[in-house]
Amino acid sequence: MSFISLVVKNPFRNKTRSSLAIIGIAIGIMVIVALGMVTGGLKASTQSTLKAGAAEISVVQTGSGDFGGGRINESRIADVQKINGVKDAAGTLRATNTSTAVGSQSSMPSPGSGGGFGFSVTGMERSKLSLAGVDSINGALYSDGSTNEVIIGKTAADEMKKNVGDKINLFGKDFTITGIYETGNFITDAGAFMSLNTLQNLTNNGNQVSSIAVKINDNANVTEVSTAIQNAYPNELSTTSAASMANRMNNALSTIDTASWAISILAIVIGGVGVVNTMIMSVYERTREIGVLKAVGWKDRRILGMILGESVVLTLIAAVVGTVVAVVGVVVLLSLSSVGNVITPSYSPDIFIRAFVVAFAVGLVGGLYPAYRASRLSPTEALRYE
Amino acid sequence: MNNENIIEIRNLKKSYDDGRIKALNGIDLNIKRGEFVSIMGPSGSGKSTLLNMIGALDVAGEGSIMVAGIDLTKNTKLNEFRSQEIGFVFQMHNLIPNLTVLENVEIPMYETNLTSDQMRKRALELLKSVDLEDKINQTPTKLSGGERQRVAIARALVNHPSIILADEPTGALDSKTGDLILKLMRNLHQQENVTLVMVTHEPYVGNMADRIINVLDGKIQN
Repeated sequence: MSFISLVVKNPFRNKTRSSLAIIGIAIGIMVIVALGMVTGGLKASTQSTLKAGAAEISVVQTGSGDFGGGRINESRIADVQKINGVKDAAGTLRATNTSTAVGSQSSMPSPGSGGGFGFSVTGMERSKLSLAGVDSINGALYSDGSTNEVIIGKTAADEMKKNVGDKINLFGKDFTITGIYETGNFITDAGAFMSLNTLQNLTNNGNQVSSIAVKINDNANVTEVSTAIQNAYPNELSTTSAASMANRMNNALSTIDTASWAISILAIVIGGVGVVNTMIMSVYERTREIGVLKAVGWKDRRILGMILGESVVLTLIAAVVGTVVAVVGVVVLLSLSSVGNVITPSYSPDIFIRAFVVAFAVGLVGGLYPAYRASRLSPTEALRYE
Repeated sequence: MNNENIIEIRNLKKSYDDGRIKALNGIDLNIKRGEFVSIMGPSGSGKSTLLNMIGALDVAGEGSIMVAGIDLTKNTKLNEFRSQEIGFVFQMHNLIPNLTVLENVEIPMYETNLTSDQMRKRALELLKSVDLEDKINQTPTKLSGGERQRVAIARALVNHPSIILADEPTGALDSKTGDLILKLMRNLHQQENVTLVMVTHEPYVGNMADRIINVLDGKIQN
C-alpha cells in the first residue's frame, strides 16, 4: 500500500467524527460556491446589460431618476438630435401594465398580476429599436403605427408561456405577439415593446416620452455629449450613461461579493475549528500508534505529512460534497423560482478553484497543530500512553 | 568496539523527574552479534528503560551506548537507525487496527526506497514464515492474541534488522500461545541470524535465552 493510500484510508477509521467534520467544512464550501455562482451570474447579466443597450446615453427629466419616471416633451428628441456628437436619438415611453388578467403561477410580475412591479411595456418607434438593444428577434417586429401588435422579451414569454402569434392583454386591449426578442438585459427581456404612438394613446401621454435614448458618433466622448445635453437644457434634462449605470450595479454586486466572502469566511472558520478538533482527537486516540510508527523508524516529517494529509483529505472531500450540493441546490432553487429567468448561474472555473483552494488551505491550517504535536511526541511516552 | 559485540554499553545512567528517579544507575553490558539475551528483573528495575535505550527510543543521561557500530549518544538520525537496525516486538502487539495484516507489516518499509510491489512481496514472505499467509487481508481485530503477536514479529523483521528488541512479548498471551510465540521467535532468530534481546520477568521465558541478564534498581546483578 502506498503512503498516499494510507493517508486517504486513515481518516475513515472513525466514520462518524470524520463525517461531521466533512459536513462542517462542506457547508462553508457550499456557501462559497453557491454565492459565487449567483453573484457571478448577476455580474454576467450586468455585463450583458452594458453590451445590450446600443444607446450610450439615456436622457431623462431632471429629478425623475435614472429609469425615467418623469416626462419629456417629444419635441426634445429632435433638439437632442441636433447636439454635436449625437448620432441618433429615440424617444421611449415606459409604462407599467397592471390591469389585464393573464394567468401566471409564479411570483414573477406579470401583465395580470395586478400588483408587485407590474409588467414593463416600452413604446418606441420600430426603426429605433436597435437603440434599446433589440436587434435579434424570433418572429417579426411590430408594424409601423400598428395599434395591436407587440413584441415581448424572452424572459416574459417563458414566464407567461407565450409564443409568436399568441394574444396578450395590455392596458385593457388585446395585442398580437409578433416577435420574441432577447437582448441579454434581464430588465428589458422581462418586458415588451410596442409602437410609441400606441402606448402614448393607451396611457394618455400624447407627445410625451419618459426618456430619450441617445447613440453618439464613433469619435464622440460620452461625458462630453452628456454635458452638452445637460448644458443645453439645464433644470430640464439629465443624462445617465449606460457605463455609469453598469458601474453602479457592479458596485452593488461587489458589496454582495464582500458580504458573501464574510459569510464564507465565517462558515470556513467554524468548519476549520471542526477540522482542528477532529484531528486533535485523532492524534490523541492514536498516540500509542504514533509511538509505534516512531519505533519502526518513521521520521517526524513523515508523521507530520500523514496527519496533515489526513486533514487535507477530509477538507477536499468536503469541497467535493459542498460543491456538488451547491451546484444542485442553486440549479434546483433557480428552476423552482422565477428568479431563474433573470439569473443564469455562473459555472466559472474560478468559483470552483477558489472553493478547492480554500478547502485545501483549511485542511493545511487545521491540521498543522495536530500534525506538529504528533510529530513531536516522544516515542517512549507515546508507547506508554493508555 | 569489539567486532563480535553488536551492543556495548558503558556506565549508562538515566534518571527522570529531575534526577529523583534513577531508572538506570551505571549499566555496563556487552551483547554479541547473533546472541539471544533475556533481561530479567522485577517491575521498575529498569529493564524496559534499558531496552528503550538500546532501541534509541530514549536518550542516555550519562555514559555511552554503541549499537551496531553507531554511537547513540552522538547520532542524531535515530529514526534512521531504528528503521535499519532495530525491530521492536511489544507486549501489546501495537498493530494499527484499521489496516490489514499485510498493511501492518508494510508500515516500517515506508522509510525505505522499496516500491509498493517490493514492499508487498517482502511482507508476504514474512507473513508466510509466521504462518499467516491466509490472513493477510484481515484486520487485527479479527485475529487471536497469538496471531496478532505473530504479525508484530513479522513487522519487526521486515526491514532486515540486526537486532530484535522484545518487551514482554508473551506477557499478554496464555502460556500455550506464549510458548508458540517464543519458539517462533527463537527459530526466526536462528534463521535470520538476528540478535534477540528480550525483556521478561518470567523465569521460564528467560531460560530459553542463551544468556540471562538480571537487572535490579538500575544495575546489572550478575
